[in-house]
Amino acid sequence: MTAYGVGIGWRPEIAGFVAQLPGLRFAEVVAESVHAHGDLPIGLTDLRDRGVAVVPHGVKLSLGGAEPVESARVAHLAAVAQRLGAPLVSEHIAFVRAGGVEAGHLLPVPRSREAVAAVVGNVRRTQAELDVPLALEPIAALFDWPDDELDEGAFLTEILEQTDALLLLDVANVYANARNRGTDPAALFDRLPLERIAYCHVAGGAAHDGVYHDTHTDAVPREVLELVTELCGRHRPPALMLERDGAYPPAAELAAELDAIAAASGYPVIT
Amino acid sequence: MNDTWGVSGPTFLLWYLAAVVAVAVLAAVHRRSLFAGTRGAHVDKLGPQQLAYLNGGDRLAVYASLGGLRGADAIGSAPDKTLWQSGPLPSGVTPLDTAVYNAAGRRIRAREVFADQWVRSALDQLRAGLEQNGLAVTAAQLQAARLWVVAGVALVLLGIARLMAGLVNGKPVLFLVFALVFAIIVTVKLWQSTRWATGAALRGMTELRRRHDYLSPRQSPSYATYGAGGAAMGVALFGAASLYTMDPAFAEEAEIQRINAAGAASSAGGSSCSSGSSCSSGSSCGGGSSCGGGGGCGGGGCGG
Repeated sequence: MTAYGVGIGWRPEIAGFVAQLPGLRFAEVVAESVHAHGDLPIGLTDLRDRGVAVVPHGVKLSLGGAEPVESARVAHLAAVAQRLGAPLVSEHIAFVRAGGVEAGHLLPVPRSREAVAAVVGNVRRTQAELDVPLALEPIAALFDWPDDELDEGAFLTEILEQTDALLLLDVANVYANARNRGTDPAALFDRLPLERIAYCHVAGGAAHDGVYHDTHTDAVPREVLELVTELCGRHRPPALMLERDGAYPPAAELAAELDAIAAASGYPVIT
Repeated sequence: MNDTWGVSGPTFLLWYLAAVVAVAVLAAVHRRSLFAGTRGAHVDKLGPQQLAYLNGGDRLAVYASLGGLRGADAIGSAPDKTLWQSGPLPSGVTPLDTAVYNAAGRRIRAREVFADQWVRSALDQLRAGLEQNGLAVTAAQLQAARLWVVAGVALVLLGIARLMAGLVNGKPVLFLVFALVFAIIVTVKLWQSTRWATGAALRGMTELRRRHDYLSPRQSPSYATYGAGGAAMGVALFGAASLYTMDPAFAEEAEIQRINAAGAASSAGGSSCSSGSSCSSGSSCGGGSSCGGGGGCGGGGCGG
């Protein structure tokens, strides 16, 4: 895969900041926020015209749901990818609805063989409609299901092997999951096919009452950046992007976060 | 029965409506040439307050200054709607910023800032610079454009006279009343219409707005990220709604009037016509067809 370097999640609130990043070659946009047929936001068309790879990131497909993915949602994702000329798309290994009830959150799938089969089925249905590769992102979860048969590494590897999908690894999720369970975050790297990583999310979080939350509204902690360095030491992903979803800081602070990711990964500075 | 003034109702109506439309069209053409501005004049180098003036006059220029000072945390507002200095005056500010900041130091209400003599003088200075560069419409040009109101008033008076005479003669006057209302609307619009930017400036502003689309309130811009300059530019290009997006409590307490992107104060009314062509063109004002085509005017005549 092309090495894009450091990127950022495009959000309307910081579109002006993203537009002015001279070295930017990779950005991600929440797929559901882009209209499949109406006007694209000016900021996105400008990025696309500049040759920046803009990847639609789905949040509502519910690939981990027991029901088959809704074809209208898959069609939307495919249409957005086409409009943006995206080299790939991404979605979560999670479910967001069940029995017609919308959770409004990404919920963890039990790591059972049955769940692997359900996810694989949904991923294949989605891939069939897409013109570009699909990358799957495991989520951060505060709990594990009691009937887990597989560990995280085996569960993900199984899904990736059966679907030939790429991996979107959220380094902050890896950190959050390990910290909240008292395990070694880097240990997961040994259990995953790192060469399948399409790109990485790097986000901030905060601890409340001893539990670390992957908030996307706080600064990226030093430990997450260290984990980025650890990962890149083993196999550097083609792109690593800052994922910020609110409480946007002054431009200088955002730029410093991007520079820190560049320093941690060894990619060139883009600011 | 004799025709009023020896002119039949339909004939009078036809000529009357033609005259009203002619006044509207001529006024629009005249405005266009009066407000053309300097060809090739650029707006790219202008600061947020200058752009705000072109977009919404003195009021929006002051709002842009308030937005910038608020974004820099130099001023705040109190529940009693007075302004206060919440921090030091940032460096490199404009004379208008300094005047507004000093006015805030006297704990006056935001709407009283416009009456402050230093603010007034800073605004005069700002306006003079824009006028010299052919970017802002001058008071004299605006006055010249408003002379067309005289023609409008004359037509309204003529219509009223005809209406009176028609009533005295016992003629049907319904269509004349419609025509008169039309003439009054055109005249009021001609009177109310105001304008700050010249045609040359307007063209440049459209491109600027596109380039700064990320500051549009539609995008819920993060002013913390864009800083004081972004806040001021947002107000300048997209109106006072930006202040409400940026800091609703401040905007509320400072009694900021919602001035939209086209520079029209929603509460002030009338200025929806500021672009001249929108109301003076034959099409939107040419609704005279209620009486047109002769058909509606048949029978006993409708023009009094």
